[in-house]
Amino acid sequence: MILPIGPIHPGLKEPVRLKLKTQGEKVISAEIDFGYVHRGIERVMKGKTWQKGIFLSERVCGICSYIHTQTFAETFEKIAGERVPLRAQYLRSLTNELDRIQSHFIANSTYFKAIEHETLFMYMLHLREPVMDAIELLTGNRVNMGWNVVGGVRMDAEEKHLNSIYQIITNLEAEYDKYVEMFEEGPLLGLRSKDVGKMSKKDAIKGRAVGPIGRGSGLKHDVREDHHTYKDEFDWKVIWRKEGDNYARTMNRFDEISESIKIIKQVIENIPPGDVRKKIKIPAGYADWRNEAPRGEVAYMAETNGNLIQNISIRTPSIMNIDVCGKYMLQDVATVADAVATYASVDPCVACTERVIILNEKGEKTEFDGLHKVKYLQ
Amino acid sequence: MLDALKDVVRKSSIHVCLINTGGCNGCDIEVVALLSPRYDLEQYGIYVHNNPREADVLLITGAVCEQWKENLQRIYSKAPEPKVVVAIGNCPLTGDVFNQEGSSVYAPVSDFIPVDAEIPGCPPRPAEILAAILAVGPDAIAAKGRQKP
Repeated sequence: MILPIGPIHPGLKEPVRLKLKTQGEKVISAEIDFGYVHRGIERVMKGKTWQKGIFLSERVCGICSYIHTQTFAETFEKIAGERVPLRAQYLRSLTNELDRIQSHFIANSTYFKAIEHETLFMYMLHLREPVMDAIELLTGNRVNMGWNVVGGVRMDAEEKHLNSIYQIITNLEAEYDKYVEMFEEGPLLGLRSKDVGKMSKKDAIKGRAVGPIGRGSGLKHDVREDHHTYKDEFDWKVIWRKEGDNYARTMNRFDEISESIKIIKQVIENIPPGDVRKKIKIPAGYADWRNEAPRGEVAYMAETNGNLIQNISIRTPSIMNIDVCGKYMLQDVATVADAVATYASVDPCVACTERVIILNEKGEKTEFDGLHKVKYLQ
Repeated sequence: MLDALKDVVRKSSIHVCLINTGGCNGCDIEVVALLSPRYDLEQYGIYVHNNPREADVLLITGAVCEQWKENLQRIYSKAPEPKVVVAIGNCPLTGDVFNQEGSSVYAPVSDFIPVDAEIPGCPPRPAEILAAILAVGPDAIAAKGRQKP
């Protein structure tokens, strides 16, 4: 029997359609359908200046909105061959880590809601609110911040605000372990999460899983290792686990929050004085840049003629993660409730996942082989 | 007598269905933030259930994409009377940054279904969303309930 879930469903917050092939209560296989929130951002961005494009890139995804602007800006900085001042790099890392913390909290809270553990769901949202306050203190807005520009960040952070953020993070660190322990050592939560939705390392490589989903399956891959600020300035390590089940993915996100807290403390303790923005003249050219979003690797490929964006392609992490979820995790799941929990554990973000199919002139589906070759029909 | 009783019950038990018609997710997570202990939506008798068949208030976010042109009307007709539609954020009002040449959005949402309240902002703060639901929800639902078809 085919059991359709969605697009509007009590278990889902975003419109997506899960088609579960079931045999009794058991789920044999699953198919995930998208297409409900496709807005055509890449197409709109074409022919605009970066000053307009950066606002569009921020609205690719509302949860990880910060990292999209950073990647967009760094792509254009790479075209110009310049780096932003060190203070701006520190501030960018600070906002990025704060954004990662709030995103991981909301991802884990969604998972706890899916396994019907309302208490931890509330605790996670309760821990998240001070982090949102910190983001607001620093950037002036809670979700779409408008904080990055090509060449730095829009405004400097005051000393007293940085001290307040340090205080918020210290308080978070003090009470955070208690809640992690509830999940880590709770026997019933463990029963509900361990060995459910398993994905092996081989499958993760085959399906190109990224972010905490790949790292939960033993893929030690974090793009922050290659990023110049993280590589040169901060002392941190990549979190990864071997189990590959719902428990591993959730614990991976919890451990990454601790790691982010460490990075934020280093940023605020060592932040250098100086400018936060410099003027960058952008020549014509092409560049690509990758960054670690809360959900994994986000890549921007952009081509400009010096003034207008001629071509842009955005690859977001959720497209691979939702794909491996449908292909490998939702095979032979014991119950439908476990299937929904597994889907929640990959932290799906549908808003940035929407894609179009590229057709040739005859209307046949073709492979996407490079950004430069795509021409839009007028 | 029965109407008066219905009014009281409707005012203190508002079921909400959240429909994302193609936005960036930002407004949706602000609605999720409303569930947190700081704002505590449920102390006002508001329950986010995401089921259109038992909803009193439909929260619309997003700028109406291709797939929603027909489906939005269908979901609206599935919600039982009396019902109230609250549009959250700039997207359902104007289409925000997406409403440009070449995009596939069909804002505003009021072209498709009647909208009772609008909250501008990108995204609006959680307290604003809560205030709007409380301002328009109970009274409008009670007033609509009294109108005989």
